[in-house]
Formats: sequence, structure tokens, C-alpha cells
Amino acid sequence: MAHRWGMAVDLDLCTGCGACVTACHAENNIPTVGDLQASRGRALHWMRVERYIEGEFPDVKTKYRPVMCQQCDAAPCEPVCPTYASHHNDEGLNAQVYNRCIGTRYCANACPYNTRFFEFFNSTFEKPLHLQLNPDVSVREVGVMEKCTFCVQRITAGKDVAAAAKREVKDGDIVPACAQTCPSKAITFGDLNDPESRVSQLAESPRGSKLLEDLGTRPKVTYLAGAEFA
Amino acid sequence: MDRRTFIKLTAVSTTATLGGCSVPGQQFIRFIPEEELKPGLAEWKPSVCPLCSAGCGLTVKVMQADVEVVKDGQHGVVTRGVAKKLEGHPAHPVSQGGLCARGQAAIQVTYHPDRLVQPLIRRGNRASGTLEPTTWDQAITELVAKLDALAGNGHQAALTILAGGRPTLRRALFDQFAAKFGAAPTVVHEVFSDDLLRYANGKSFGAAQLPTYDLGNAGFVLGFGADFLGTWNAPVAHAAAYGRMRRGRPGKRGYFVQVEGRMTQTGAVADQWVPVQPGTEGVLALGIAHVLLRDGLRPATTGRAGALIDGWASGLPEYAPEQVAAITGAKAERIVKLAHDFAGRGPAVAIVGGTPLAHTNGLFTALAVNALNELSGVVGRSGGVLFTPQLALPVAARGSLAQLVASPPQLLIVDGANPVFSAPVAMKVRDALDRIPYIVSFTNFLDETSALADLVLPDHTFLETIAEALPESGSSSAVISIAGPVMTPLFETRGAADVLIDVAGKLKSPLDLPWGSYQEMARASLAPLGDEAWTTAQKQSGWWGELPAAATTRPTAAEPKPRPVRYAAPTFSGDVGDFPYHFLPYASAALLDGSLAHLPWLQEMPDPLTSAMWSSWVEINPKTAAQLGVALGDVVEVTSTAGTLRVPAFINPAMAPDIIAMPVGQGHHSYTRYASGRGQNPLEILAPVAHPETGTLAWAATRVKVARVSDPDGRLIMFSALGELRENPLEGETR
Repeated sequence: MAHRWGMAVDLDLCTGCGACVTACHAENNIPTVGDLQASRGRALHWMRVERYIEGEFPDVKTKYRPVMCQQCDAAPCEPVCPTYASHHNDEGLNAQVYNRCIGTRYCANACPYNTRFFEFFNSTFEKPLHLQLNPDVSVREVGVMEKCTFCVQRITAGKDVAAAAKREVKDGDIVPACAQTCPSKAITFGDLNDPESRVSQLAESPRGSKLLEDLGTRPKVTYLAGAEFA
Repeated sequence: MDRRTFIKLTAVSTTATLGGCSVPGQQFIRFIPEEELKPGLAEWKPSVCPLCSAGCGLTVKVMQADVEVVKDGQHGVVTRGVAKKLEGHPAHPVSQGGLCARGQAAIQVTYHPDRLVQPLIRRGNRASGTLEPTTWDQAITELVAKLDALAGNGHQAALTILAGGRPTLRRALFDQFAAKFGAAPTVVHEVFSDDLLRYANGKSFGAAQLPTYDLGNAGFVLGFGADFLGTWNAPVAHAAAYGRMRRGRPGKRGYFVQVEGRMTQTGAVADQWVPVQPGTEGVLALGIAHVLLRDGLRPATTGRAGALIDGWASGLPEYAPEQVAAITGAKAERIVKLAHDFAGRGPAVAIVGGTPLAHTNGLFTALAVNALNELSGVVGRSGGVLFTPQLALPVAARGSLAQLVASPPQLLIVDGANPVFSAPVAMKVRDALDRIPYIVSFTNFLDETSALADLVLPDHTFLETIAEALPESGSSSAVISIAGPVMTPLFETRGAADVLIDVAGKLKSPLDLPWGSYQEMARASLAPLGDEAWTTAQKQSGWWGELPAAATTRPTAAEPKPRPVRYAAPTFSGDVGDFPYHFLPYASAALLDGSLAHLPWLQEMPDPLTSAMWSSWVEINPKTAAQLGVALGDVVEVTSTAGTLRVPAFINPAMAPDIIAMPVGQGHHSYTRYASGRGQNPLEILAPVAHPETGTLAWAATRVKVARVSDPDGRLIMFSALGELRENPLEGETR
């Protein structure tokens, strides 16, 4: 059976440290844009940690929520793309074909999660910073949209390793960079078509919910609520 | 016509033709079918993160790349293995497979475009002279000549080594060099020093070191200002344990309460956040102890930690809930409830570190929390306070930065410290360095202190040499993080430890260092752990296990007659009338104490609480901001007895109205293209208040006043939508 990749983020474990944010940059060749462009809202963070504060001093509650592309099953970004750069692949990923993208940015407008980013420049990696680039991930050129891919290059690599060993991909074989680095192990990744996988089980948790569920986007990322379900 | 223009032109017709195509399963194929995508071959090599004292073990992805090299003046391109990605080593007890945001960015230290690539020597004086490239032969000859001149005059003690706080074998090697040469005690400088807590732990528990908290087995965690999941102690190890505490035991979720005046990144995930008046955290700890003793929730102790608290044996009569409420501002019934939860949900552990210990009464606070832990019965126990066994190394004397400023040496060797940036300006470190005739710096970058050096010796980075650390905490067993080089050095740099060994041998009266190289020294240090220790360590980013008794440090002896402490209100520089607010500088989540401000990934990482990037800011409670007429991004002037800063404001509801907080990290004058001239450094307005016991900086003992200066100047850059609500004067246009 085909894989259907999904993720679960346990908000009871997230400490807001931002390790996932930097790991995502390191894995996916995401450039930094500098202060001026960042002030124009052009910083690219496929993964971000949202922070919510409720109440007034001294009764203040704060919550963190890591947000990345939710890899929706009914993704608003896909039907609006005139070149089919944004499309649904066999394994349920909202894939982006960079060389088809012509930069209309319709997908970013349609995405309710603000997780799509536009390359306003041909990124520069001042030498020798270019040596850090991951050869398994394309460096995007000016004018294309980009976003979280669930580290599709790691999915490909995981399947290759399994194939070379003449076995099926096992739960835990494939770990995206954010989940790998998370010190408190708040992020779980796996195959939603495998009922035994940890992510499938977490997706069924009574603590689970989807982000902006009522929009009907059917995200494949489950958020597990924290303290209130102690 | 290129491919994308072609697609652009055909897009409309394609949409028209295929737009109605809604046959399920009909999909466009990728340009490269997935089965033809072949990931590159990678080799994973162990290493050790160099960015903080935690000493996390790494595994580094190494792949082939074309590297531009210069050899004997010839430029060329060589294909060789280079580091591509850092991950926490899954077997290492401190990192446990995880890595923080800063560790992820450590690779940029090696690939930084402003790395020093060859030795620099000063021509002319510091005021008008310049640092110019030189050869290693000349640089070493120069250093040897300077040391020989001191030794020739019998002035060996006029040499001082100034070092950063990371515990390493390299530090031990520098210590040996200093001892054999006859140098003055090495000065170890860190702005957010934990020396006061070490001192207190020595008194309370006989272990003068940072504790490891066994959160994974704890039922109740009571934090006092300690950012143990963010920037303090060993955050990756403690975050892993925190994960187990919350969700690692089916049916038992550990409870976490944080006590502090400004919500830290760690405090934000607490189940209960209890604000108290700054500097009264220890009173709350003893208030809880009072209730535990009064209500018989825990048996009274007769241990060393309790004996250090005045009134402990008689049940802490001065710390009844009402009295504690009056001092701390926490409600009396809440204190009683906290005490009952503390006793009922055990094992209960209290954690103190950071801001509460940066007040003038920090020692009292640390001893009070230590006594509470003793009462809880968790010291040295599962779910409690553990001390990672330490490898015994020759004990070296330590001097203080204040002594160095008071009587500057003739020759200063700087290794991994930058006090010109990271000490209060009022300490006048810069003036003291100007009075030192010769300064040598081992460094990767020209930071503020190295910029004053007469000889700059560029070091290998951690990926290019032996990477090692001696973790003080983060593990229940002893750990020595050590691994071999991951890649060939990119530039004409040399490992500082090897340069020092080289210099030691070239002196007129050579120093008798027992090793020919850093590697020999490292191997020799691991020798007491058995023949296999070195080979084991090379494979898995370190050695861990049970230290032989002979190789372990001894506990410090109990004081014969401990002098009990009692609460004294903290004192401040600046009185309440003129300076109404507490000023709390804190370690930035991305940039720590500013030593990481040169890494672009960390500059552009949104701060967890404010989402600010590339910026400085001061945090102000909304009520205070309303009184001052300050809105998000407005420029305010923050003034202390020591100076004034102009910084954009961030309105933060998660802090007391009488606190002004500011992250340390920005405000560098010289620290590569990414950090220089950016933002403000709160240390510039700190009063140089020191703890009497340790001489370390009481960095929360400064009061300030605040005034609004102007509308936003565009310097506060935020990733969140909050930041887009306002005009962007940085470019004089509205977004």
C-alpha cells in the first residue's frame, strides 16, 4: 500500500526552543535574507514557532505551537496553481515542482496557514557558506514558491535504504530534520496508512486536533493538546 | 526563451485545457521521476558541539564537495569530504540525539565568510596601527620572544591567560602551560557565570558544580528563574528529561511550576507561573519548607544544606506563609497549596539558576533552594538533584576579571573570552587592556577583544581538530565528550593547543609539557579510564560510564561550623525614586551571551517570545508601557547609574510592571558582517555590582528609568504579523 506521510506535534512537549527552525534551514538550504528584507516580511522560515500569551500579569498563560506546511489532503494551494507546480503526490504530500513554478503566488494567498514562502532573490551563500548546502535539496532561484516538504529528500533516502536491504520502510526509519533535532521529542513523523505507526496512533489521540480544522483542509499534521488533558 | 518563460506563456492554455480534468488519480508526473532521484552518499562522523558548556555529542554528515584551497600561494579546487549537517549523537548521554537551535547553527562557525584565515600581527600602536597578515613562523617567533623576555626578567607572573568558561581538556592544557611557565592564575570570564551556584552547592552538598536534574523521574518540578530548557545549564539534556517527565510515563504526567518575575522561555511551558518580587525567590522556597515542616509533610532534616539556613532546626519561624506573602507578593494560600502539591506529587525537585542568583542576596537564594531539595529528600536520588561525576584533573588557581583590571599583566593570552563585549562597560576592561603592552588572541573571529590584540592566531574550528568538552552536568554518569577531526582544515589555521605546545618547546628554557601534541594530551587524559576508552570515544562522540575512583574528583569537605544565612533584601545600584524599574538582562535564546551573534542562521531565527530577528529590544509590561505612552517598536531611552541605551520597545504581558528586561547578544562593535553595528548591548549600562563570595557579576542588581524617545525607527524586526501592523521607517515606505 502507498505511504501517506503525516506528523504529530505534542504541544505538551514543545519548549519553544526553536531547534526545529534552525534544523530546517540547515537541512533544506533555506537562505537568510538579512535585516532589511526581513523587515519587509521576506524572511523564509518553513518551520516557525508561534507563541500565544493569554491573560494579564500576574495570571499569564503562554503556549508555543510549531507550525509548518500542514500537508492538507484538501489543500487550498493546489487547485489555484496555473502551472501545476503545486500538486498532490502519490504519498499525500503537497509537493512543489520548482521548475514549473512561475511565481504567481496564488498558492501563498490561498494557504490559510501562512507556510508558503516566496524567493524574492537569487539567494547568495557567501563563500565558504556554500559548503554547508545540502546536495540532496535544490537551491531555489528567484521567483519560486517554497515550503516545508516533510524533508522529501529524507523520505527518498529512507526508501532507498529499505529497498537496498530488501525490506519495507519501518516506522521510525524516516525522520525529518525538525523531528530529528527536537530535544524533547515533541515531533513524530510516519506513515498514516500504517495503523501501527506511532503517528497513526497519535493522530487518533483524544488530545489531538488539526489546525483550523473547520476550514475543511484536512491537514495531515495533528496537534496534541497539553496540560488541559493531564 | 528559457523554460520558465515557456511555461508562463503556456500556463493559460494549459489551465484551459486541463482545468476541467478532475479524474481521480490523474496526476502530473514530476520532471524527475522519484525512482531516479538518488540521494548523495554521506558518511557520519562523531564530533562535539563547541558553542556552550553543555558539551553535546554530535554526529556530522560528511559529503564530498569541491573546496577552493590555497596551498603554497597556489589557488586550486580540491574535492574532499566536508561537513554538511550536525545532529545530536543518539548515544551521547547529554544530547541524546537532540540538538538545540544554536548547535544546529554551529556548522556556520566553520563556513563563516569572515573567519580569520591566517595569523595577524599589529603594525604600529593600537590607536592608529593595523592588524596585518603574517606567517605562522613569524607569529610563533614573536610569541616566543615575548614570553622569553618576561622569563628573562623573572617576570613570569606578568603573564595572564584569559579564558572562556567551557570546561575542556584544552583548558587543562592551557592551565598546565600557565603553571609550568609560572604565570598568574588564569582568569575565566563568563557574563552569566554560575560560580555562585557552584559555591553554594559546595557548601550545601559538598559538590561545587552545576547539578543535573533527573526530571524524567520527577513528579513535581519547581523552577526558580532557571531557564533550564532554553539557555541555562545543559538545556538539551534537560529538555529530553522534561519530555519524559511530561509524557514518558503512561498515566503519570509530571507537574511543573516556575517562579520568576519575567517569564523565561522555560517558564512559558509551566503549568503554573508564579511571579514574585525579584530577589525574593529564596524566601518563597523557605516558605514552602516552613509549610512542609509545620504540617509534617516531610520529616525534618539534619543535613548539611538545612544547617546553613538560619532557623531551620526550629521550623523556620520567620518564613510563615503570611510573612512570605508580604515579602514575595505571592498569596499565602497559594504558598500553602504549592507546599502540599510539592509533598504530594513527589519526587519533587527545586531548580534554581540564572536571574534569582544574580541579585546581591543570590547566595541566600541558592542555599534556601538547596535546603528545600534536602527536605524533599531528592539529593542524589532518582527524580532529584544529581551531580555528574567529574574526571579529576590537576587543580588550577583562578583569578578574577576585577583583579586583572586592577593590575593588568604585561602579556595577556586570550582564549575564547571576549570581556570587552561581555563585561559591564563600567568595569573598564577596555581601559585595562589598553594598559597591557602585549595581547595575544587565539580565535576564529575578530571580536571586540581580539581587535585589540597585537597578535591574532586563527584557530581550527571544532570540525577541523579534536573536538572535546568535559560536561559538568546533563548526565547521571560521567561523560567526556571527545571525537577526532571531521574534515581537513579549510584555511591556514592551527589548533591553539598545538600552537601552545609548540611555543612551550621553543622557549629559551623550554617548558616540560609531557605531550608532543593536543591529541597525545587528550589520549593521556583518557588513559586512566582503560585501554579501550580512547577508541570507544572516537566511535561515539565521547566516553561515558563509571569513572575509576582514582580518576574522580573528591567532594569538598564540610565546613566545621557553618554560618547560617538569613534573608536580606537585595540591594541595587540606583534608588527606587530615581530609577523605578528592575533591569534584567538575560541570555538570548539565539545568541546566548552574544558569542553567537556572528552566525546568520541565529540572527534570523525568530526569538521564541517576541519573534524578533536581527534586533535588540527592551520588554515592558503593557501597564507600564501605557503609563509611559510607549507602543510596540517605539524607541525608548533606558538609563541606569552607569549609562544610557536607546532601544525599540516590545510590549510583554508576561512580566511584572516594575521590570524592564533586555536580551544580551546584540550591540557588537566588531564581530563579523552579521553582528557588527547591530542593536544594543545591555551590559553597557550595568552597574559593576559583584557577589562578595565569588566576585562574579550580580547582573540583576541594576535599576533603570525609562522614557519614550520617538516613534519606531524600524530597527525592531519581527517575523510575526504583529510586526507588520506598523510602518517600516527603515526604508521610508509602507509595506
